[in-house]
Amino acid sequence: MPSQIVVTGLGIISPIGIGVSEFWKAALDGRSGVSTIAGFDPFPMDGYRSKVAGQIHGFAPERYLDSVQAERVDRYAQFALVATKEALADSGLQLAKENPRRIGVIVGAGMGGMVMGEREITQLYQSQRPHRVHPNFIPVITLNSASGIVAMAHGAKGPNYTISTACSSSAHALGQAMQCIREGRADVVITVGADASITPLVFAGFCSLRALSTRYNDQPERASRPFDRLRDGFVMGEGAGALVLESASHAKKRKARIYAEVAGYAATSEAYHMVIPREDGEEIASTMRLAMADAGIAASQIDYINAHATSTSIGDAVEAKAIRQVFRSRADSIAVSATKSLVGHTLGAAGAIGGIASVLAIHTGQIHPTANYEDPDPACALRGIKAAVQERKVKAALLNAFGFGSNNAAVVIKRYAA
Amino acid sequence: MSDRDVTEKIVAALADYLKRDPASIQLDHHLRDDLGLDSMAVIELLYKIEEVFDLQIPDQDLIALSTVGTVAQYVEQRLVPVKRPARPSAKGKKTT
Repeated sequence: MPSQIVVTGLGIISPIGIGVSEFWKAALDGRSGVSTIAGFDPFPMDGYRSKVAGQIHGFAPERYLDSVQAERVDRYAQFALVATKEALADSGLQLAKENPRRIGVIVGAGMGGMVMGEREITQLYQSQRPHRVHPNFIPVITLNSASGIVAMAHGAKGPNYTISTACSSSAHALGQAMQCIREGRADVVITVGADASITPLVFAGFCSLRALSTRYNDQPERASRPFDRLRDGFVMGEGAGALVLESASHAKKRKARIYAEVAGYAATSEAYHMVIPREDGEEIASTMRLAMADAGIAASQIDYINAHATSTSIGDAVEAKAIRQVFRSRADSIAVSATKSLVGHTLGAAGAIGGIASVLAIHTGQIHPTANYEDPDPACALRGIKAAVQERKVKAALLNAFGFGSNNAAVVIKRYAA
Repeated sequence: MSDRDVTEKIVAALADYLKRDPASIQLDHHLRDDLGLDSMAVIELLYKIEEVFDLQIPDQDLIALSTVGTVAQYVEQRLVPVKRPARPSAKGKKTT
């Protein structure tokens, strides 16, 4: 059984850039990808409490994908395909030389094919013509459409499934991908997080849940502000992140460039509340401890945390409290950053995008800023949160992700040493 | 609508939500500490109140709404401007 599982390829499509180099440059600049939503054609934004989101503007799928592939799936799965294509090219894997049954695909998606889903439901109720429901409706909205199309696009015949745990989906996908290789079920797993549901109904739903920022509708780039005193809810985002994972022996045999090692993973439930975390932070703390134990490392070895940090009042405070519980006197010396300050909350894609930011922090020695961290909230003050780039040799990082349904995930990613 | 009507409607909405006798709900009851509503339950209650009174309650107003009395007072204040004769007919009004 392989003991080390490494990352050899990265791909991303995000509100601050399509492609890893564009994303990382913008991330290090601390640039926000949040903008004003122009409207949900055919109706305007007037009735929505929040009017901002991290959208990917001008995405032309035909630029990246063949038209049949692109037309058969919803926007989130198109994102998954684009990110995967980049990650595979980046990994240098020559799929024709691989045993296809040893290549798996594990996708995390929170909402899935909502663009077509909402359109078809609306049309059916308005027209009352059931025979006009699009024949592709069911395949598109089935939540594993992305893991299916990614496997078909690359001939990956190994383990193939989708994990849907709301906002922690792709952190679990990353952890499950590691476990899949660790257990010897695959040599390579393409793990992807994808969501694209800034759609009239889903956006209205999050507004009704009073989960979204409404204070900065006129200054969208300031709306996502994790850990800041004036944060007032998360900002919806969309995108996808893909990571190619493989056993270290497989990577070395083909002389691949190794970015980092995925060393540990924990999955827990708070068994508490559908949308509210336990205020004492103990369940989150326990999840982080379990992930470190799985990785076989001590809390003293963690030097960076890619926080879940969605910019909600309670969520950020609870996470900071949990970090303090686990790391005690070291809590202020660990670098912490919130990728959602840049791209908004990409839901099912968030874990993968945070995972990519963690891998790049280890690989480049640079930690991206937490945008809009202007006035530290004493309820979640940690000295390692900075509005500027932090230069640091990161040896071990923790990726946190928590989801509706009382769901927690933590993944340990560390510098690879043979 | 009189202030008393507003309060009664709010208490009725609360009683319905909590499945308890309206007479057992006091104005000084704290939504969380006395009535056991968590933040999600408060949001659900306000959703119902928005429907009953044809209102939209902005997120930033939520923080002040901690007791039955403060909710009633808030709704009463919000209803004042729409009592004016210039109010457009309720019939065609959209509740976007």
